[in-house]
Amino acid sequence: MQSKRRFQWAMLTPVILLLIGLTVFPVVYTISNSFTDYYYLASDGKKFIGLDNYVKVVQDEVFRQAVWNTVKFMLLAVSLETALGLAIAVLIDSLKKGAKFLRVSLLIPSLLPPVTVALIWQMMLSNHNGIINHMLAWFGAGPFNFLMDIHIAFNAILFIDIWQWTPFAFLLLYAGLQAVPRSQYEAAKVDGAGKLRIFTHITLPNIMPTLLLVILLRTIDTFRLFDKVNILTGGGPANSTTTITQYIYRHGVYNLQIGYGAAASIIMVALVLVFSVIYIKRSLGGNEHEMRR
Amino acid sequence: MRKRIVIMLSLTLAASIFTGCQSNTQSGAQSNGQSTNQTNSESNSSANNQSKSEGKLVVAARGGSHVAAMEAVKAEFEQAHHAKIEIIGLEAADLKQKISLDAKNKNGAYDLIMADDPWMPEFSEAGIFANLSELGVEADADFEESSLALGKHPYGTGDLYALPFSGNVQLFFYNKQLLDSYSEEVPQSWEEVLEIANKVHAEGGLTGYVIRGQQGNPIVSDFLPIFWAYGGQVFDENWSAQVDSEAGRQALDTYSKLLAVGANYETTDIVSSVSEGRAAMALGWPSWFITGETASAEYAPIPSKATADGQAASTGMIGNWMMGVTANSQNQELAADFLSFITSSETQKKMVEHGGVPTRKSVYLDSELAAKYKHFPVQLEALQNSVARPRTAKWSRVEEALGVELSAAIAGTKSIEAALADANEAINQIMQ
Repeated sequence: MQSKRRFQWAMLTPVILLLIGLTVFPVVYTISNSFTDYYYLASDGKKFIGLDNYVKVVQDEVFRQAVWNTVKFMLLAVSLETALGLAIAVLIDSLKKGAKFLRVSLLIPSLLPPVTVALIWQMMLSNHNGIINHMLAWFGAGPFNFLMDIHIAFNAILFIDIWQWTPFAFLLLYAGLQAVPRSQYEAAKVDGAGKLRIFTHITLPNIMPTLLLVILLRTIDTFRLFDKVNILTGGGPANSTTTITQYIYRHGVYNLQIGYGAAASIIMVALVLVFSVIYIKRSLGGNEHEMRR
Repeated sequence: MRKRIVIMLSLTLAASIFTGCQSNTQSGAQSNGQSTNQTNSESNSSANNQSKSEGKLVVAARGGSHVAAMEAVKAEFEQAHHAKIEIIGLEAADLKQKISLDAKNKNGAYDLIMADDPWMPEFSEAGIFANLSELGVEADADFEESSLALGKHPYGTGDLYALPFSGNVQLFFYNKQLLDSYSEEVPQSWEEVLEIANKVHAEGGLTGYVIRGQQGNPIVSDFLPIFWAYGGQVFDENWSAQVDSEAGRQALDTYSKLLAVGANYETTDIVSSVSEGRAAMALGWPSWFITGETASAEYAPIPSKATADGQAASTGMIGNWMMGVTANSQNQELAADFLSFITSSETQKKMVEHGGVPTRKSVYLDSELAAKYKHFPVQLEALQNSVARPRTAKWSRVEEALGVELSAAIAGTKSIEAALADANEAINQIMQ
């Protein structure tokens, strides 16, 4: 028994060390920095300043705007990407021909790095040389200043994110659909259920875990929105596209205000946890239930 | 037996991970606790080992034409010194971050670094640069004075820490054909700029003036020359913010009016719209419009007065890229030699053909080059009358705060008065 336990610990040791080195230490270090006035290039040491950084971050109008933008972006992007991904998955699942081709071609945008996507769209959305404004001109519309107009910039970035990540939602949901037992559909059809009823009573309950996973993954990812904003708008115009990660980058990385950036990061982690708590609770609840059984 | 072997293997693996972490701890502890610095630390040691054994220098540079120009001329130095020069081109924000993170390492990854001139106070105060005078690098009088002053700490009077590598200075760009078609001369005041912009917009339905209003550095660089022309200063002598002033309100009002009959574009669109005659005027940096011997638009010094009978002020913002030897370079003497070589008159003349922007008067006044590059006289004049952004180590943060408020004012989410008042308050908080 003892030898088995030793063996278990020996197997776990590398993972535990990795976890401590790559996760626990950075988190603890970030938390401790958030209570200091740590400026990376300062010649004197960092001083403990209590909750000052947190107070300043919360009082900063730009941070509050960044939080609102991030939450708004997250709600819109996650719901639209999930809904569109589900619709496309159901559509392709029902196709008898061309499903393979569509499956592969739809995935292309999500295979591109976000920086590449941002640079491609920057060129396409250009006022004078961009293909989008050229195409709109054929229909007598535009030109639109997509990235500098306060009424359009946020929506432009939202659209680009939906374009890139809907295929990811589609991929997971399509995989979920493949796992739904066909016998349930056949039984429902025999019982005379319509398409809507089959969808709401068979498809949706069966793919619910996948659906929640998509929502969780996209929630976490949209909360980290950075590359597109930093390249396309720099957070403007008038902070209308500033996100929390961009705020942290500007203060903590570019201006090297490590203590201040750390405080903003901890607040962001807390916010992500708030939005992920439903899923986490559900996961933990499921495990407890299984354990009790 | 098998179990024991597995246990031994896993313990060895754990020990190696622990040892690996420990070797990086020194630099990691100095960093923000993230992996970036560990990567730096690794690249440092490899770069330094090579520096020592092969006489290799690593230059952290702003990507683009600067790198192309250096690459074109470095072979001569490499042959003469039996050295290898590696030039790493980086985007501006990335360059600043990498230089800063590397500064805390005992053995620096970079022997020479390029720095945008507003970074100089912050980098000099942090001890990132080696003192060039101690390395025997002379600040000879051939460098344009306004450029040379940027490399000294304190500004203009202190020791020399960097030499001017690229002599960028803001200019006024306009489409001559368009202005001729409206019988207009190059404007000498911002009042005239606004008049012409109104005329071009009203009569021709074209863009009168293009602003570069992206939040952050672009809008601040684009606005400050107008602010200076109206007699404004970002700080008074006690480093108290002065943007919320009559000059500030008038300048921002003019800026908003120019936008009303113009457009707000990023760099590529500014260049194409002015060059192709869809827009009349804009401010810009020479490297945007002038490639090699040709320019896609006409250029002039930035109007120095608010009104025709107003008082003239220096308005051409200097935006030099400086180069210095790092304090943690393990090859400082060779690095200093390369710095002298790359900023020498002969090398600058050669680099001009590859997109280099001179910082020496002798290069601008070279008759052969002046005949070939028509913009040289205007650019030298602009450099001589240029004005530097405030020399404070906190400029990046000040620029950030001012940029946010200027962006809000032109987007209409804040009134001019409210935006300037908020900018003033934010800047004063930063300067405390």
